[in-house]
Amino acid sequence: MQTLLEGIAARGGGWIELRYQARRAKQLVVRNGQVEESSSAELVGVGVRAFADGAFGFASTTDLTRAGIERSVEIARSTAAAAAAAKRTRIERLADVDLARGEVPLPTSDPLDAHSLEEKLGLVTRIDDLVRSSSALVVSSEVSYAEMIDEKVIVTSDGASVVVHDSKPAIRILAIAGRDGKRTRALESLGVTGGWADLLSVKSPEDAAVAAVRLAVDLLDAPPAPGGPFQVILDPELVGVLAHEAIGHTVEADFVLGGAVTADKLDKRVASDLVTLCDNGTSVYAPHAVGELAVDDEGVPNRRTAIIENGFLRAYLHNRETAAHFGVVPRGNARAYTYRDEPVIRMTNTYVEPGETPLQEMLGTMKDGYFLKGFGPSGQADSNAEFMFGVREAWRVRNGKRTELVRGATISGNAFDTLMSVDAVGDEFEWEHGAGFCGNKGQLAKVDGGGPYLRCTVNVGGEQEGGRGQR
Amino acid sequence: MASAELLDLCRRAVARAKSLGADEAEAFARAVDSVSSTIEKHDLQISKSQKETAIGVRAFVGRRVGFASTNRIDGLDAACKEAVALARISPEDPSNVLPEPADVESIDGLFDPAASEFSATSAVRHAAELIEETERTDRRVIVNDATFDATVEDEAVASSAGVAAFQRGSLFLYSLVATARDGDRVSSFDIQFGATRRVADIDVATPVRKACENALSSLDAERGESFRGAVLLAPAAVSDILVGTVLFQLNARNSLRGRSRWTSGVGKSVASSSFTLVDDGVLPGGVATSAFDREGVPHRPLSLIEEGRVVAMLQNAYSAHASGTANTAHASGGAHSVPGIAPTNLLVLPGECSSDEMVTDMRFGLLVQRFSGNVDPISGDFSGAVKAARLIQGGKLGRSVSGTMIAGNAFEVLRNISGISSNRELIYAQTLPFIRLEDVSVTA
Repeated sequence: MQTLLEGIAARGGGWIELRYQARRAKQLVVRNGQVEESSSAELVGVGVRAFADGAFGFASTTDLTRAGIERSVEIARSTAAAAAAAKRTRIERLADVDLARGEVPLPTSDPLDAHSLEEKLGLVTRIDDLVRSSSALVVSSEVSYAEMIDEKVIVTSDGASVVVHDSKPAIRILAIAGRDGKRTRALESLGVTGGWADLLSVKSPEDAAVAAVRLAVDLLDAPPAPGGPFQVILDPELVGVLAHEAIGHTVEADFVLGGAVTADKLDKRVASDLVTLCDNGTSVYAPHAVGELAVDDEGVPNRRTAIIENGFLRAYLHNRETAAHFGVVPRGNARAYTYRDEPVIRMTNTYVEPGETPLQEMLGTMKDGYFLKGFGPSGQADSNAEFMFGVREAWRVRNGKRTELVRGATISGNAFDTLMSVDAVGDEFEWEHGAGFCGNKGQLAKVDGGGPYLRCTVNVGGEQEGGRGQR
Repeated sequence: MASAELLDLCRRAVARAKSLGADEAEAFARAVDSVSSTIEKHDLQISKSQKETAIGVRAFVGRRVGFASTNRIDGLDAACKEAVALARISPEDPSNVLPEPADVESIDGLFDPAASEFSATSAVRHAAELIEETERTDRRVIVNDATFDATVEDEAVASSAGVAAFQRGSLFLYSLVATARDGDRVSSFDIQFGATRRVADIDVATPVRKACENALSSLDAERGESFRGAVLLAPAAVSDILVGTVLFQLNARNSLRGRSRWTSGVGKSVASSSFTLVDDGVLPGGVATSAFDREGVPHRPLSLIEEGRVVAMLQNAYSAHASGTANTAHASGGAHSVPGIAPTNLLVLPGECSSDEMVTDMRFGLLVQRFSGNVDPISGDFSGAVKAARLIQGGKLGRSVSGTMIAGNAFEVLRNISGISSNRELIYAQTLPFIRLEDVSVTA
């Protein structure tokens, strides 16, 4: 396939990018002891992006013959011409960069294919049994396993030619507890870039199952979270979510050009000087982050981007188009989910670098606040950096001690205000290792977030007790 | 690929799976021919063209089931083998059944022949109109993202039980995310969309004007007020806060899983008597209209909640068998997924007063256009930020507010509905009114 694509790219006629992708995915779902799904999917095709007259056109095909791919090249070129006719600001050029050549190997020594479906189903069934047997209050369980194995060949007419192998398995564990008509839920996830042994190395599925059951049961008796502005400690998972959702999206250069709040903040202070926030396709500090990416879908090798350095906004995330616009070198953040999708600016692993304060020291000096662990069930962030995230596990903190669990807590505010309020950054580091995807610009992407524990001030959403207008 | 060829492909897949050892089999195929244009940062970003045929095969070995899909027609044999192999390693479940065949009537208006002539250039033209209409409405508003998609889709399903159905549909979907910027002031974003099945009915102006109105209104937003009381939800907020929870509870699969509070189901009083919810898979022109569901069972209109009381749950073949009730034709999904359960076109029946009259009747409260937050469909708890919200004071709309959160429990507020508007809006496949709730916690 690489030779075929190189031959087509060398035929001239203007810049093109050819991306072959073969994805094999498997999904096993066990709910309440019953196998609800055992499925496999294959998605194979070539996506062609053409650049002509300052505009992009894109076409995809499942016809993998030379004639079929060349027909898609012609369609991509004609749609680029149609787009160029309506485009207001033509793209002048794509940024020059050393493009990838060669092969990126499978990121594991224990490939998923070396393990049978029976073995995987056995694990899922065993964990589902464990969830249901861990408490009489569990009314429903769901454990799922999903794997995604990709092979890509990325060739551009200006020099990229690389074969990329990737492998991303994940396990989700959901426990639902119930009593007297009340239902509570807790979700634990394990996701990695890597193989079977890598998946099981980041966290024990058994421990995760027990933790999910304990939380779901404890939430049955938890009172509602009192709302208002509070000093809080965010755990590494919430720090990663904050870094990704509330900061990361606002520094995607296409959002910046579209009027994101970061548009005029480059080299300005946006956070406490304790905060350095990065995006990096390499797993630093801890292995197997879900968003590992060696080469992006434009054929650009991924490198670390320091978005915020010691409190100052230093960089945006780019593709080759926006990098040329801003006069910088792209660092490999253009990603496409399937062969049917064009590369768009996406994050990889987004995190806050660790600091020096031990968690116990942070906790010990808090008078009245919250210790917040984990994200969920949902949340949202805006281009003006306003965010609202659900919190999986919220504990009140009084006089330096973690006290009672509360339910229904959310955190909200402006992400940059939140980072400005940071007064302590922990000395530990963890990835979230989530099982889900980031959805953006109509596409999905496997990403990760992480960091140390971080102390800051946010608005905690909960119950409002009475007040004006009560009727 | 024409619909008849697609049905033939499904029949071949069923026969192949049976020849490989499946006792029963089903195949669902979808062929998509689409063009789209994307806007980013207020300018056309890319124009796209896509053609793909995908097929998914369910193989039954006894009451064990496996599923495999592919988008390579020459990979069909391998997919059939994989489905049978997956079935063999899966445990038996007595409810793994195929539906019996039933007559499927074609639906007028599902496909517009003019859609066959719709080109990438046409999609570019409509995408450009999104920007031009925004500028005509107010130049302070920027289209951050928008898409215009035109799709012609053929679907076919066949099974060894005798199901054989196919249809062709056209759909034009357009959406935009807009923000307003005036000097240093940046609004929250607003999301709007439109959809139609006919080329002649494409209307990008209406969602553009609504997005501009909401983005501009939040530009002047000030800190709100904390109170516990009445909140008037606009249709998009009704969808965000209430509809998801209601649908989760009405999903028979969730009932079987022990996740639904409405497990006892039919007959249960769950909402104010003013609340009636209908699902209509054959609604003329509906976004989710189709002749049959993912398993080939014909769609029909179905009341789900009547005057606050549950009268039906959403069922597919599995859940209907497991719960011993009738299949309501709500099997959902595509060629790459096993059948799930989902609604089609949803309609909350209208009330008697207009939303303007409902505002006039409110002494103090909050109008919420959009909600950004958590809704837990199991506990019913919701908590999050309101968007494009305005205070209501003395029967009039007051100032816009920001940084305001609402919290409550969906099950409780459903019983505390104190008004449903006569005017409704289409939120994708949901036709929803304004709904007034009482005793909601609002935190500024």
